[in-house]
Amino acid sequence: MTNTNGYLSGSNLERVLKNGHFAVTAELGPPQNADRSVIIKKSALLKGYCDGVNLTDNQTAIVRMSSIGAGAILVQEGLEPIIQMVCRDRNRLAMQSDLLGAYALGIRNLLCLTGDHQSFGNHPGAKNVFDIDSAQMVQMVSEMRDKRIFQCGEEMKGQEPRFFVGAAESPFAHPVDFRPYRLGKKVKAGASFIQTQIVFDIPAFKKFMEKVRELGIHKQTYILPGVSPLKSPTMAKYMRDNVPGILIPDEIIKRMEAAGAIWAGKSKDELTPEDKKARSKAWQAEGIKICIETIQQLREVEGVSGVHIMAIEWEEAVKPIVEGAGLYPRPVVPAPEPQADKN
Amino acid sequence: MSGDLQIVAYCCQHCAYAAADLAGGLRMQYPPAVRVVMLPCTGKLDALLVLQAFEDGADGVMVAG
Amino acid sequence: MIVAEQKTLEEIKTLVGSAKNVLVAGCGTCVTVCFAGGSREAAIVAAELRMASKLAGDAKAVADVTVQRQCEWEYLDEIAEQVGKVDVVLSLGCGIGVQAIAEHFPNAWVVPGLNTKFMGLPTEQGVWAERCAACGDCILGLTGGVCPIARCSKSLLNGPCGGSLDGHCEINSDVSCAWQLIYDRLTSMDKLEVLMDIQPPKNWKTSRDGGPRKIVREDLRLGKEE
Repeated sequence: MTNTNGYLSGSNLERVLKNGHFAVTAELGPPQNADRSVIIKKSALLKGYCDGVNLTDNQTAIVRMSSIGAGAILVQEGLEPIIQMVCRDRNRLAMQSDLLGAYALGIRNLLCLTGDHQSFGNHPGAKNVFDIDSAQMVQMVSEMRDKRIFQCGEEMKGQEPRFFVGAAESPFAHPVDFRPYRLGKKVKAGASFIQTQIVFDIPAFKKFMEKVRELGIHKQTYILPGVSPLKSPTMAKYMRDNVPGILIPDEIIKRMEAAGAIWAGKSKDELTPEDKKARSKAWQAEGIKICIETIQQLREVEGVSGVHIMAIEWEEAVKPIVEGAGLYPRPVVPAPEPQADKN
Repeated sequence: MSGDLQIVAYCCQHCAYAAADLAGGLRMQYPPAVRVVMLPCTGKLDALLVLQAFEDGADGVMVAG
Repeated sequence: MIVAEQKTLEEIKTLVGSAKNVLVAGCGTCVTVCFAGGSREAAIVAAELRMASKLAGDAKAVADVTVQRQCEWEYLDEIAEQVGKVDVVLSLGCGIGVQAIAEHFPNAWVVPGLNTKFMGLPTEQGVWAERCAACGDCILGLTGGVCPIARCSKSLLNGPCGGSLDGHCEINSDVSCAWQLIYDRLTSMDKLEVLMDIQPPKNWKTSRDGGPRKIVREDLRLGKEE
């Protein structure tokens, strides 16, 4: 049996959080093909700039390289993967067996998610699973670790998978009043860390955290609000209008628009390719700036233990964000010495 | 209008059918192809009645009410 | 009730194929009240088939008949003679009716004229919505009388997910978020504490996942004659 010296998993992310550092996680979207070089290229952009890398699991129900497969590559590359697993594609048998495999491949962090409905993705005719939900998955993997049992209650013989288990919450999805309680349920189920939907609206997030603190949840789990650099005003408006649980204050939209003001009012044909490139660069710079400011504000909120950077298909943005927010270099917390098995 | 044509006119007894009656009383002419069928109300008209008319050889169906 | 929808005439024509004598069999129960396969619909489909086949130069003899319930042998006995005379029976019953005809009349070729959709109710004139997934282990007592198995797109037991927006589901703004409905109802009934417990994984064995289901009621069975 693994002796983890007081750690649940001993993962880098757990060590950073447990030692009181403000954690940084980033997101890496695996490719829609079997090319490992994509993972290697993207991971190189993140190495040293975060404490763990989330690997999405068929994000928006589009077939991509598996999070476990991509996670194993990250382990080989010396990065710390946080594999995401959704309830849409696997029943409890497949989840447990894949997690045994993931642990054996050196993966130590797991984020349990419900998953986007398959009607969003590229296989809308697929049958969904949803055998168990995300809270139940958290409970299942926590018990695999702590009680050494499978979901059915059967005892596990030999090495148990010891994951640092996380869950997600969307603070502004509806019904808003219930969200802190639902977060509490996931923490009660065993979630050691929480990554949230992208936050732009600081006052609204503060209100959510007030309730979280009132319930004492922040003392039982590490909360990492999600942030994302905006690429353009169009993207900002799209997210605001179409993604449930994302609030973007008008002020941020205005800032994005102002960043591209000198090109505003011109039709597509009037802009040269150079203009478009310059405009895009100006927007991206502003998006990164807003993201850095958001992190700085979130850091001041009591109960926030870190930040989760979701630079969607824009991994290059992580470095300037982490540096700009004064979060570089990342802390190094040595892994505990493995102790001899006394049994 | 060809003499072989057959048009079934479903008429509400309270208006269109009464009007047809009155027209008859006034000796007004209408094409012999039109066969008037009285309905208690055109709300009673069902897709089935229309289909039946066509199935039985009607070239057209008129609903008046 | 069981809610069904008629197949297109094109598909029905294909299913009937080259059969000369056709019996369109309606059902007088669920599919009558959802206007998909009652006596009226059976007569209309029969007329359509007669006319379509005549126009195609292959006039078929198409009769129609409607029984009270296609899903009970006794009612099917009433049409045994008609079934015996035709090349194909086009059942306008639900999937159960079609299978009951096939099972009761081993020599009859039966094809479906409807697509059986769900168990639900008419929420307004002309609108039907799903309400029950027949999971075999009712949990409505935990959810204020709103079923998350049938009505949450992800059948969550500890919902709502992050896709709930303004009372509707992430898949479509026409679909209500079942968990918003549950939350609202429990709030109005002052019973929100019900949602604070983590619901354990469901035992899907009672659902279709446990294989085809059957109920045997010994108290109702007729004893075998000695």
